[in-house]
Amino acid sequence: MTRMVFCRLAIVALTAASTFAAPSQTMHVEGSTTVGPIADGFAEVFQRMYRNVTITVNKSGSGTGAAALLDGRCDIATMSRPMKEKEYKDAIGKGVFPFGHVVAMDGACVVVHPSNPVRALSSSQVRDIYLGKITNWKQLGGPDIKIIPVSRDSSSGTYETFNSFVMKKEKMASNVEYVSTNPQAFARVKTTRGAIGYVGFGFVQSGVRAVELDGITPTTETILSGRYPVSRPLFMYTNGYPELGSIAHKFITFHLTEKGQEVIEDKGFVPLTKY
Amino acid sequence: MELTSRHISDKAFGLLAGFSAIVLVLVLGVILVPMILEGTGAVIFRGTVEFRAMQLNEFGHGDASKVQAEIAEVRPLRERLYDIIDTFKRGVDIDALQERAGQIHRQFGAELRYKDTPRERYTSLRSISRRIRDKLRAAFAGTDKEQMAQQIDSVLQYRGDARFEGTIATGYFELAAEFQESLQHIDLRRRRRYKEGLDEVEQIIRELFGPRPDGPPPALAMYRYGATRWDQAQKSLQRLLWTEKWVQLEQSRPLQKTLIERKKEFMGTQLEPLFGFVEENLAQMLRPKWTFYWRYFVDDSTPGHYFGGVGPEILGTIVLTVLSMVFVIPLGVISSAFLVEFASDNFVIRIIRMCINTLAGVPSIVFGLFGLAFFILFLIPAFGGPSKPCILAGAMTLAVLTLPVMIRASEEAIRTVPRAYKEGSLALGASRFWTFVAVTLPAALPGILTGVILSLSRVAGETAPILFTAGIAVGPLPKSVFDTTRTLSYGSWDMAVGDRLSAMVPHNQYGMVVTLVFLVLCLNGLAIVLRSRVFRKLKGQ
Amino acid sequence: MMQQTADFGRPLLLSASQDLRGFLGLHLGRALLFVITCTSVLAVFCIFLFVGLEAVPFLAKFSLVEFFTGTGWYPEAEDPEFGALALIAGSVYVTLVAMLFAVPVGVLAAVFLSDIVSLRIRTIVKPAIEILAAIPSVAYGFFAVLVLAPWLQRKLGFATGTNALNASLVLSVMALPTIISVAEDSISAVGRDLREGSYSLGATRFETICRVVIPAAHSGIIAAIVLGMMRAIGETMVVWMASGNASQIPSPWWDLSQSVRTMTATIAGDMGETARGSDHYRALFALGLLLLVFIFLLNAGSEYFLARAKKALGKS
Repeated sequence: MTRMVFCRLAIVALTAASTFAAPSQTMHVEGSTTVGPIADGFAEVFQRMYRNVTITVNKSGSGTGAAALLDGRCDIATMSRPMKEKEYKDAIGKGVFPFGHVVAMDGACVVVHPSNPVRALSSSQVRDIYLGKITNWKQLGGPDIKIIPVSRDSSSGTYETFNSFVMKKEKMASNVEYVSTNPQAFARVKTTRGAIGYVGFGFVQSGVRAVELDGITPTTETILSGRYPVSRPLFMYTNGYPELGSIAHKFITFHLTEKGQEVIEDKGFVPLTKY
Repeated sequence: MELTSRHISDKAFGLLAGFSAIVLVLVLGVILVPMILEGTGAVIFRGTVEFRAMQLNEFGHGDASKVQAEIAEVRPLRERLYDIIDTFKRGVDIDALQERAGQIHRQFGAELRYKDTPRERYTSLRSISRRIRDKLRAAFAGTDKEQMAQQIDSVLQYRGDARFEGTIATGYFELAAEFQESLQHIDLRRRRRYKEGLDEVEQIIRELFGPRPDGPPPALAMYRYGATRWDQAQKSLQRLLWTEKWVQLEQSRPLQKTLIERKKEFMGTQLEPLFGFVEENLAQMLRPKWTFYWRYFVDDSTPGHYFGGVGPEILGTIVLTVLSMVFVIPLGVISSAFLVEFASDNFVIRIIRMCINTLAGVPSIVFGLFGLAFFILFLIPAFGGPSKPCILAGAMTLAVLTLPVMIRASEEAIRTVPRAYKEGSLALGASRFWTFVAVTLPAALPGILTGVILSLSRVAGETAPILFTAGIAVGPLPKSVFDTTRTLSYGSWDMAVGDRLSAMVPHNQYGMVVTLVFLVLCLNGLAIVLRSRVFRKLKGQ
Repeated sequence: MMQQTADFGRPLLLSASQDLRGFLGLHLGRALLFVITCTSVLAVFCIFLFVGLEAVPFLAKFSLVEFFTGTGWYPEAEDPEFGALALIAGSVYVTLVAMLFAVPVGVLAAVFLSDIVSLRIRTIVKPAIEILAAIPSVAYGFFAVLVLAPWLQRKLGFATGTNALNASLVLSVMALPTIISVAEDSISAVGRDLREGSYSLGATRFETICRVVIPAAHSGIIAAIVLGMMRAIGETMVVWMASGNASQIPSPWWDLSQSVRTMTATIAGDMGETARGSDHYRALFALGLLLLVFIFLLNAGSEYFLARAKKALGKS
């Protein structure tokens, strides 16, 4: 008897799931976990504006997004770094012509716990912290607390930016704690007194304090102009330039509109436009 | 002497053992109770008028007329609030004024193009407009009252110009006139600081009451409404009334957090009465009411789970678990039937049993790797399916994971069927097959059902195997078994670590975990009850 | 039809020639069931095969020695290092410390349930243990990150709340039900006669339990511990959220307040963003293979001890 109920429930559930009306157009976006939220925001607005389009966004990493674009498994690849030489070569080999569009700017802001009196660091000091050469805040003029360096794990685009600009590609020390996402890094620094980490610009909220890096505070201006040492553009790659007027074209030019800028700012990035 | 020391050690040991059991129960309580308390806050809470508006507009629930009436009721109070802000803002918000001037210039240009103005006239009008705009901007940002007054006067000279009559450019003159008036009141030196403080205050007011009713609606759903829960509103109120400052009390010690009354920052200005006003009238402006949000279990959620419920996650969990049961029940029951009916204790059977035990011990993440390597990259493409994460692959992986549980429970169930049943049936001439199907299996059914329920609860709670085989955190409802799906387990993990917005809505974080725990515990409780009933029934024989 | 003589030397079954359908039905059916039952063997075999297939190219390319003894895990660096020693040490470290907490509590609770307490209380406490076993690991992870980590920082003054101690504590709670149920089974299976003999010689309950029952059930208890270890070493979600993920071996080795990283957390954390077919991807499969080997050995160990326990009971 109960098994019949189970069977019926299963059938109902499966049919319910499959009777959702199939819209006429679908678009698949895949890639970076940093740029993903922007794509999410755009998709949310698009669902309202164009009701017969379904946009799915998958966040699995910049590298995976590039691979998906090459294989033709996605229409737009979001990446928080430019495509590497190998990726371009593979793409041309497969007849795919990746075309990069910069949709926003981001900065990897170095943050510390708000109770930490240290307000400015140089990039060589930060590098030494992550290399394990500086281990206590008192060596930097702060209180006598052990430094807990927090980093994103090595397959993240934010990590790569930090790695190339601040670490100069040197390997981090073994006592560095790894977290897999921006919110996790934010949470670690917020709850640990001696922590230092780097998060995207949108995560510099109350709960952590951004330090000046080489004398420059991360703000919209300094990141947009590139004066902040660890700023980087965020990309959306398509296969060639999308057909004018198509959904993909609207998607990758949405950042130029006022609504697009609003979405980008809401998600905590630096827009390229100034409405 | 010896006797008493032995006596003491005996009693002490008894106490120690009892203590360990108490520790167990305590640990269970410490883990579950805070979670459950927070999680029920997702379903039972004091919801504000913003919540009811959100439910109406985003999900279509609720009585439209009642909600509109409520919104109309709270509007007058909120208007007063916005008035206070606006009067203060006029003298202070340099950026907004400059932006407005720029906007007028752009719109004027668009209007001229729309009217097809001849080329020369267009250029000359545009250049005048640009000059006016620049003068206004300089006036707004200036520091010398006299100079600013001069600049405003020079702008106002154009007021009578016939070329600007009836166009958008008259906005310039309204701006200039308003500014001229507020120039009397403002304190130029403190403007910048007031502006920063005002920005913060405005942000908190937006959090509390949503965007201004006269402006355009924000693009993202989460910003369209104010505080939907009374506890959220209380927290925002605290942030409005008190600012956090970290001050250095001693040299080379960490900074200490202190709270400063925000009102003091704006002492003597037109903004000061705002704080008292909000504090007194918050309840009236938000109308909190105890809400039982049972739709939490059915509703979809806005991106990031900021609003809404866990309906799709529950559906995904159900679909995934039921599909995996479809795979595992036949395999498990048939295997246990073989092991009970036909197996003798020889080498092959021992190998099989060892493999079953090994399966039970394999880490769940290795099952995920196996699911990726075998089902997604090999088996499904071999049958022509798409080689990507999907419900089918996830269900099959989970089936393999839970096979040992199913086999063990079924075996136990079949073994506890009294031999008399089987022997009676055989004595009546039935074949072994029919005996099993018609007599043993129905008698073992409650026990097998217990096994099914235990497997269900195990599968519902697993996260690691579906990380790369079937689960996603954000996405549409699955349309077929070749799509990925959201589940309670994956969603809980994502909300705990991955989502940017979830820290802002802890009640949703906990709500999802508690839903999962509740589901699993209900299933387990059902299994326990069933098992004790079967136990009693069979003991009674 | 020929009359059959009453021969009770063999079962009264019709032979194959007399009842072909029945014969085929029985034996074919039995063969079919056997094949279906072998799916579990097939599954284990496939797991080893497919995980191994993806891992072998990596193991062939990079030196095994470096894999097992190197401490640097930098898979995405420009010259990648795949030293898994810190990861293996992390898994083992967290498991052993978890056992340190779980074994005393577990064995004591098992003793409590089997010997000391009445049947009524037992039927109340046993479900509590089953509930503890049923709670999903995500919920434990939640608890570890959101409740236990801040508490460890505040009350014990640790520099970081997500560390080896945090992960070990939660893992011990997760392994407890396994240990308790298996240990309790084996302690209960020790016959009444052993206990009664001890009591009749004048021993107290404490002495009976410690000197007679537990030694008699020691194989079963060891099996319980090994099963608990299997549970702890294979756990993923909790350690990923709670252990801090610093691929280091703590520098005074007994310093539990430092972050460590386990093999399971590495696989779960890195897999999502790794390109398929790359060295990093294969290295993760290699870690999975290593885990499988560990589990297989532990399982063989537990089987051995359980078999010994059964034999010992058969004797007494």
